[in-house]
Amino acid sequence: MLARTSSSVRSLPTRTLFRLDLNFIGTALILAAIGCMAVYSATWFQGTPHFQRQIVWCMVGIALMVLFIVLDYHVYLDASMILYGLCMALLVYLVIWGKVTANVRSWIHIGAFQFQPSEFMKIFTALVLAKYFESNDSPYLNFRSFMMIVLIIGAPVALIIIQPDFGTAASFFPLIAAAMYFGGIRARYWLVALLIVAIAIPSAWLLFLEPYQKERIMIFLDPERDPLGSGYQVTQAKIAIGSGGLFGKGFKEGTQARLEYLPAKHTDFIFAVIGEEWGFVGVVVVLGLFLFLILQAFFISKQARDRSGTFLVIALISFFVFHIIINVAMQIGLLPTTGIPLPLISYGGSSTMMFFIAIGLIANVDFRKYVNA
Amino acid sequence: MRVYRDEQKATQLRINILMWGIVVTFFFLAGSFWYVQAVQADRFRELSESNALRAVPIRAKRGLILDRNGKILADNQPAYTLMLMRPDVRQMEKSEPGHSAKLLQFLSEALQIPVEELERRIGASKVPINQPMPLAEDLTMVQVAEVESHTLEFPAIRIEPVQRRNYRYGTMAAHVLGYIGEATEKDMEQDPTLKLADLVGKKGVELVYDKVLRGIDGTRYEVVDTHGRTLSEYSAARREPIAGRNVHLTLDFDLQRRAEQYFLDNEMVGAAVALDPRNGEILAMVSSPAFNPNVYSRRFTPDVWKTILSNPFKIEVNRAIKGGYSPGSVFKIVMGMAGFEYGVINPSTTFHCAGSASFFGRRFRCWRAQGHGDMNFERAIKVSCDIYFYNVGALLGVDRIAEYARKLTFGERTKIDLEGEISGLVPSTEWAETKQNRKWYQSETISVAIGQGPLVVTVLQTANMMAAIANGNQVMRPHVLEEIHEVRDEKLIARQVVEPEVLHEISLEPDALAAMREGLWKVVNELGGTGRNARVEGLDVCGKTGTVQVIAQSGRKQELPFKYKDHAWFASFAPKDEPEMVVVVFVEHGGGGGSDAAPLAKELFAAKFGQGSNLDRIDLSDPETLRKLREGALPQPGQPTQGR
Repeated sequence: MLARTSSSVRSLPTRTLFRLDLNFIGTALILAAIGCMAVYSATWFQGTPHFQRQIVWCMVGIALMVLFIVLDYHVYLDASMILYGLCMALLVYLVIWGKVTANVRSWIHIGAFQFQPSEFMKIFTALVLAKYFESNDSPYLNFRSFMMIVLIIGAPVALIIIQPDFGTAASFFPLIAAAMYFGGIRARYWLVALLIVAIAIPSAWLLFLEPYQKERIMIFLDPERDPLGSGYQVTQAKIAIGSGGLFGKGFKEGTQARLEYLPAKHTDFIFAVIGEEWGFVGVVVVLGLFLFLILQAFFISKQARDRSGTFLVIALISFFVFHIIINVAMQIGLLPTTGIPLPLISYGGSSTMMFFIAIGLIANVDFRKYVNA
Repeated sequence: MRVYRDEQKATQLRINILMWGIVVTFFFLAGSFWYVQAVQADRFRELSESNALRAVPIRAKRGLILDRNGKILADNQPAYTLMLMRPDVRQMEKSEPGHSAKLLQFLSEALQIPVEELERRIGASKVPINQPMPLAEDLTMVQVAEVESHTLEFPAIRIEPVQRRNYRYGTMAAHVLGYIGEATEKDMEQDPTLKLADLVGKKGVELVYDKVLRGIDGTRYEVVDTHGRTLSEYSAARREPIAGRNVHLTLDFDLQRRAEQYFLDNEMVGAAVALDPRNGEILAMVSSPAFNPNVYSRRFTPDVWKTILSNPFKIEVNRAIKGGYSPGSVFKIVMGMAGFEYGVINPSTTFHCAGSASFFGRRFRCWRAQGHGDMNFERAIKVSCDIYFYNVGALLGVDRIAEYARKLTFGERTKIDLEGEISGLVPSTEWAETKQNRKWYQSETISVAIGQGPLVVTVLQTANMMAAIANGNQVMRPHVLEEIHEVRDEKLIARQVVEPEVLHEISLEPDALAAMREGLWKVVNELGGTGRNARVEGLDVCGKTGTVQVIAQSGRKQELPFKYKDHAWFASFAPKDEPEMVVVVFVEHGGGGGSDAAPLAKELFAAKFGQGSNLDRIDLSDPETLRKLREGALPQPGQPTQGR
């Protein structure tokens, strides 16, 4: 399998559409549809166009997904360094000339349109790492490859920390974990990694962080510091979910969200709206769909034609797993509140597009699992 | 130890471990939701019904306004406001039809406000519907008790203790202090931190230093049930307000009240400014008649507003900076300075006054028909000879006069830290051509030379000009702010001090300056001077009178009705050699500068330098005087002033 040269697979094979795994893509589309409904239910009474916009984001996301299925993923792997480089240039541009939006320079404005390059950087970094693993097949990472991985992930993360957008920087974490876990790490490297973290955190605290950033981190560690922010949100989200009971209050019937007691109801706390209106049944259905999506992706990764395909799927699905677990756990206060959205369901342009691209790439690996199709 | 394993097997194993880990995590999450949604559901259902936080602003204490000696001019007093929660009225109406009518009836009786007025206030309020709305202010203790005893019956009303702006001395320095009022939509556009129903500065120091005085409101979070009834305070979320900073003014309480008392006692309309020529600090600024800012700073005062606006004397206008007047003979000082500056005269230049003279084909008269004879500068200033200054004007030409006058801040704003200052008008040939679309006639220059014609000046500009002569070379920016103090827990933690600022430099020759001061000294201190009423025993007061005719000179034998009487000016400084205070007094339709304006200058100099003053005459502890001040008793002009 590994003897295959990339030139022989680069041409687009003629395949019929029925080979596409509709279970996988279908699950993603159902989740996105549930997301649109939940966004509608959370915002319809306030007269804002969130629902319409989310539909548009999904359309754009689906278009991007198709684009990332049609071309062989090896094309993306080969172009990954260029995409990665371009995106790095954008991040550097933001650090130097970026407009500050909500204390953070993470948005690129093109006319009325704006996007966060850091979201797309996640995909490109995953692609570069996958490309790297194509040629690295030892069961454990040696020091050189360990440092390469650190460099590939560390460079964009450093730039995003400077923006400073800690939430997004932290969401690169699953990529690191996946790379290390997948590549295999010896105990001494774990020690080195721990040591770096132990040095980096206090020095960042002392040297680089602005007071408001420190406050954010303190709130992360101790939600009671900001009872009307995180603490209040969690209390309200828990009340919403708990009062939903087993069968929920029904579509558009949630009172917590409508009475404005639940902040970020259409973004980070959308799952609380689902919990309130659809009850435990709705929660289990959504969690079940997510689990189904993840498990399918794992099977795809096992059956992938080559090591880079396997890693690409693992890396991308790790984003899903990370976002889902953190987001769902924070709804009922199992983890501290962070600005991490629920994939495919939370309102938001960049994250919706990012996750659809990821779905597309995973389907792409699945689509091209047979060598001689 | 190194064990070789097939890399694919290793990868597959790792993936399987990961998969099972994720499955377990998902089941754990689902289990947690089961706990919340099935086991604890009843508890959360109850909470969701009785759960709401209402954010109620805690108003920050507005900073104090004090005089230069730390005497408090404006502070805050505890008061009670009646707040109405409108959604709760609606809720109650549902369960008990007729509730709102009953509530209005009760409030109308308790507060003695007609039901229609209450309805009007509710209808006119711009406060968002889910926020408590102020319905009545300044409740008496009896009213508070009455309302409090009915809160069970009427849950939609509540008494809120507030800090009410209090101007301790009523009308005193009202035009400088200004007043506060509810923020308008325009205010909120300019300052997004403002909320509806916030009180902000509207005029004077309250407006100019609003951001300094305002402070930052805090927030209290109340837990309320679905009926809007307050259950408790969510104290963990409470944000304490930050009080505004204190503003220390340059005003001198004693001088200010004496000046105001003078206008009150004599029932005069006009303005006066006292300032320190060394740094531009305003020691007193009076505009008479005055208003009572305590009245303005209330929310519900439509009738009072009407009285204020319909007052024929425009009591809300600060005449010291917004009143534009003809300077009259006071302008002769500017003519003299400009004459020296451009070298058309020197201190020994003489002109002959024969009672009238011809310039540019027209005959101009001196105020003294029989003439003054040979005049040098000092004598001309002393007797205010018109012919002398006609000559200076003819030699200078209007454009040089205008250029020099502008240096003394005539025709431009003095940049004082009060709002609404006017720039006045200094005519020139360019002004005639661009603004009037006509040619400037040279004969008009002759009128300007004695302060008549299109000239418009303010009392403050005149004081600023006197300050330049007093300090000899600098035109200062006048200001009322002395210091800003940030006080926390009775401790001064930060302090900002205003530095003097020079607007223009002028360079008078020492002998010219000496001649000017000598002439002005003679006005007050020599027999035959026009300003003898400003003389203070043992103090060298220098000054210049001005009397501005409102109607032509002919036929002025009998007592004129008020609106045709002359305006009176007196501009002065003391002591002559090292001046410390400038006083300019202007009395609208006051009669003569020497008779009606000069005595106030004398009073202020005497008070400031502590010599031979009738200190006992003004006594603010006298209840009658205080009452007059508080009520903003308006003078009744038109009656002759008592023998001045």
